[in-house]
Amino acid sequence: MDVLASGKGVYRTPDPDGHREWVRTHKSRELKSKVMTAKEAVEQFVSDGDYLGYDLNIHKRGPTALMHEIIRQKKKNLWVAVRFSGMDPAILIAGGCVSRIDIGWFIQSGTCSRAIQEGLIKVTEWTNGAVVYRQLAGAMGLPFLPLRYIGGTDTFEQSGAKLIKDPFTGQEICLVPALNLDVAVVHVHQCDEFGNARIFGSGLSPMETCSCAKKLILSTEEVVSSDEIRRRPQLTTVPYYMVDAVVHVPFGTYPGAMPGLYGSDPEHMIEMMMADRMDTMDAYLEKWVYAFESHVEMLDKLVGARKLIQLMQAETFREGYRA
Amino acid sequence: MSETINFTTTESMLINVANLIENDKYYWVAIGGSPMMAMMLARKTCAPRAYYVVEDGTISPDPLEYVPFLSGASGAAEYRAVAWKDMNTVGFHCAMGYYDYGILDCLQVDMYGNINSTFIGGTYEHPERRFGGPGGANEIASMCWQTIFMADQEKRKYPRRVDFISSPGYLDGSLRARERAGLPANTGPYRVVSEIAMFGFDEETHIMKLLAIAPWVTLDDLLAEMDFEPLIADPLEKLPPPTEQQLTVLRAEIDPGGRILGQGTWIEYTPED
Repeated sequence: MDVLASGKGVYRTPDPDGHREWVRTHKSRELKSKVMTAKEAVEQFVSDGDYLGYDLNIHKRGPTALMHEIIRQKKKNLWVAVRFSGMDPAILIAGGCVSRIDIGWFIQSGTCSRAIQEGLIKVTEWTNGAVVYRQLAGAMGLPFLPLRYIGGTDTFEQSGAKLIKDPFTGQEICLVPALNLDVAVVHVHQCDEFGNARIFGSGLSPMETCSCAKKLILSTEEVVSSDEIRRRPQLTTVPYYMVDAVVHVPFGTYPGAMPGLYGSDPEHMIEMMMADRMDTMDAYLEKWVYAFESHVEMLDKLVGARKLIQLMQAETFREGYRA
Repeated sequence: MSETINFTTTESMLINVANLIENDKYYWVAIGGSPMMAMMLARKTCAPRAYYVVEDGTISPDPLEYVPFLSGASGAAEYRAVAWKDMNTVGFHCAMGYYDYGILDCLQVDMYGNINSTFIGGTYEHPERRFGGPGGANEIASMCWQTIFMADQEKRKYPRRVDFISSPGYLDGSLRARERAGLPANTGPYRVVSEIAMFGFDEETHIMKLLAIAPWVTLDDLLAEMDFEPLIADPLEKLPPPTEQQLTVLRAEIDPGGRILGQGTWIEYTPED
């Protein structure tokens, strides 16, 4: 196969057989309870230097409680797949957790821009679609996939993509390498104690993100019975054998919105974005993360029941978000 | 004597884009920004049967209100969709050719319709100002049949060559440049829209071509806000001024607080009889 051009961005060499071996030796097929606390899950399944991914962002169905726990435990040198993100990479970078990012897109953020401009974190360029497509390749057990975008651009030059001549048609086509994350953290609407999980609403890449990871931590708004899961199997987004930990955290995406359950907290969003702009993220993290042992304690002491009820009332759209 | 109308440059930009949107066509619209506002304006005025998808996988929604990305893009933005899918599914459907037009706003667009959303000034390794990257714009600009770009009419936003091609236009302008880079055939930039101008692209050279200009500015005013000289259509058309209906829908239904519409500069214009 003729390689016509190669991007010079850094990527981890795909290793589908290595991933298979990991699955063979580390992923339990047993239907056993995986319920634990966020502290236990992050201690056990997130290591310094891990390649981290998550679904959606801190504004909508992002795994805020798990991200806060990663920051609280001061995990270091993470390589983070950033696409369609909001302030989530900013808080991870401000927490000192990140040494390298894949960029699909980050929202205008002083913290991210400064870190890149000052060379504090290393970058490989991709697009939003290319990152989730690489995860799809990883989730299919393949080393790469062809795609019909990214080519011709400076983004391509700074990515890990290649341009080849397709051996079937003789036409030019780009390839991207598979991405198998070390650890994925994903927030879901419902799951059972084994990890069979349901996500409602538009997803970014819940299936790909969960499937391509060596280790998978789910946080969930609600733990439902396994009988309930088996009554409506069509609704299961993630089957249990991919899941390593189930963390029950109602309002687990706060300050973000959980579609069909509660809206985001606009005051908190403004506070977070101002902290990012004014370069006072340390104080923000001290106030919202380090000062507490857990997400629940933070909700209890800083947010309160009145506010949480208001956020539930603010989500006036319920159709389609229930089993 | 016609009545004097007042509107902001933001309103005029949205109206110029909305006027391009057609019934029974399918659009991939950038999520939660001005392209979405233009789409909602069109759906409430000239094109109620224009359909769209956004990159999180929301297919043909019918939202009641405009939902900015940051203010908790929750159920409101997904309301009454025909399907809730994911980013890869949207990419597949675009790759198969279902999406007629993409609509994107951009930091910089150059004479070949290449767009930049990665950095401005300095070098890639040492940028003066770093931005968020291509996001989904690369997919949209690569695979939709035709792409509509929105860029304010400022010299720095219309450079001869962008500092970094985040998402593809006609690349170096040469014949089949996009196909040689692996992009689908017969695709590319269609229109570039500002608050005072509408551009297309020359079919042979792929150089940006001025098609129409707002009646309240001169050609010299416009060219002063570009780093390169575009081709100029003959005859050069006049853009229609905002209608009362368009302004009412924008102000009463799409952005009642004026938080976004009010960010533009105010224009006072009296149409000639």
